[in-house]
Amino acid sequence: MERKPSAVLIVALILWTFGVAGTVILPLFDQEINSATASGELRNYPEDSAEARGREIYIQNGCQTCHTQFVRALPADTNQNLGPVTKGGDYKYDLPHLLGSNRTGPDLMWVGLKYNEDWQRQHLIDPQSTSPGTIMPSFDYLSNQELDDLVAYLMSLKPTEERLEEYKKEMSEAKNHN
Amino acid sequence: MFTDEKWSSSKNWFIAAVFWIIIGMSMGLLTATKQIWPELLNNRWFTYGHVRSAHVMLVIYAWLSMAYVGSMFYMIPKLAKTKVYSEKLGNFALVFYNVVILEGFFALLFGQTEVIEYGEFPLWVDVQLLVAIGLVAYNLFKTVGRRQEKMLYVSLWYFLGSLLWLPLTWIVGNFPAQWIPSGVQQGLMGWFLGHNAIGLWMTTVGVGQIYYLLPKLTGRPLYSHQLSMIGFWAIATFYVWNGPHHLMNGPIPGWISKAGVIPSIVLLIPVWAVLANFWGTMKGSWSQTRTSVPLRFTVAGTIFYLFACLQGPLQALPSVSSVIKFTHWTVGHAHMGPFGAFSFTSFAAIYYILPKIVGREMFSKRAMEAHFWFSTVGFLVFAFSLWIAGVVQGFAWIEGVPFLQTVLMMEPYVQGRAIGGTMMYVAQFFLAWNMYKTIKLAKLEKKQQAQQQAASA
Repeated sequence: MERKPSAVLIVALILWTFGVAGTVILPLFDQEINSATASGELRNYPEDSAEARGREIYIQNGCQTCHTQFVRALPADTNQNLGPVTKGGDYKYDLPHLLGSNRTGPDLMWVGLKYNEDWQRQHLIDPQSTSPGTIMPSFDYLSNQELDDLVAYLMSLKPTEERLEEYKKEMSEAKNHN
Repeated sequence: MFTDEKWSSSKNWFIAAVFWIIIGMSMGLLTATKQIWPELLNNRWFTYGHVRSAHVMLVIYAWLSMAYVGSMFYMIPKLAKTKVYSEKLGNFALVFYNVVILEGFFALLFGQTEVIEYGEFPLWVDVQLLVAIGLVAYNLFKTVGRRQEKMLYVSLWYFLGSLLWLPLTWIVGNFPAQWIPSGVQQGLMGWFLGHNAIGLWMTTVGVGQIYYLLPKLTGRPLYSHQLSMIGFWAIATFYVWNGPHHLMNGPIPGWISKAGVIPSIVLLIPVWAVLANFWGTMKGSWSQTRTSVPLRFTVAGTIFYLFACLQGPLQALPSVSSVIKFTHWTVGHAHMGPFGAFSFTSFAAIYYILPKIVGREMFSKRAMEAHFWFSTVGFLVFAFSLWIAGVVQGFAWIEGVPFLQTVLMMEPYVQGRAIGGTMMYVAQFFLAWNMYKTIKLAKLEKKQQAQQQAASA
């Protein structure tokens, strides 16, 4: 093999293929991530709805570079009161995914639970007025239509009532436990 | 325009690379500054998300990748004892590649993005970039095919592997999202690219560069051929499984998590095999780092590689990840490999190769020293600010400190990062100026020589 580049390439290709099979192909057959939860169904926006357009604006403006949509069953998330822990099926209709990798700003997975439309709009136009000291830039250059759509998308980010009740019960149980 | 002059591909890829490090890092500095003054240059095009994406994509695929290709256009023919298969094709690929990068850059500023980290260019750019990479790989594979030296030196293994893995990985990661059945499934594919752009391209070409440079710069043979083989195959076996650890503790089934996390920890094996080999080769030559700037860049690169590779497996432990994930720490770690380890070895490669191909010493040794110290000190300030910030931030979240308050707590660290980043940025102007002077003088000297010869004839 020390004299044959083709042999090196073939073995390198085989090892690479194993990795793809394990981490990309096999997950295709896992139901846990491939069937939508009830909360995941809420994200199946009809084409050209305000929410679907708002999602495009969210992506175009790079909101996902600062905000995750990724709630873990860990103290760092539960103590921040982020809402129900997310499951694979919650993202069934998220294309492309907006899981994110950095929380320069807070997690937005269930942000629709937390504020009303007026607050969202005000926050986008003048972040300092709603959150003094924030490092979020103003998005006042968006048109009214764009702001409406973006707010509609943000407000749609919430779990079903059932999931929320479940979460509240878990949280109070955990508190009693302590 | 597409000259077939000897070593012109190598030289031209280097020149383009250094042009892009200035553009790419200015985007990085703007990103850091926007976290202090959010309203700075705040408009539809230069919004934080666009600038950050452009920074990441440019430093990886414009600066570092072009520097890598420049190195390979010199190192591969040297190791194969032959010349580049086609300098013309090499120069054509360079022009094409740069046009594609420019398209990608503008696409990102206009808000077109695929969201996939390390693969943010939109699909129409991805396809072109794949063709450009393919042209480079074809040219270099052909070069190896025409080799006069029968033994394959270890650097060649790394280069061959990388040139095969990058295009394949690029295809998997950029697979059109709408053809894949689930958001999380796409996340796994995206992180397959995200991690393997680092593992099977940045790391493997970078390590190949070090294996070439260390013996050349110290004048000593490689410590152990055996160890270099173990390192290569261990990287090839385990790195490719690393993607899922980015979704650890999250919405993926337990078995995928394990399939990603265990290989991440096992990576300690190849890392130690590689580093033992590097430092074994250095034995008795450490004092040379005082006088040789390229050697100093290489050695500093290996030390930063150690840092990066201690952090990596540590971060793959679910307990550690639960504190530092999503914090500033991650950003610090993400700069350790691409800047600390592999930009440093690419600087060394430029300083070693450029004089050989233009036929003249680097113009200024002082500028090289300044480049080294500004890069190193700047990077240490930058990285330590982010690591400390990340740990403080992580524990504050666990304690339930309100989010906005944790943002305010980060202010001094974010400022520290910007100061370190400014030094890293300034350092690159010493490189660019030194290269410009060297190439210009080399041309002038050649012309004078030709005139003298003509006069004496």
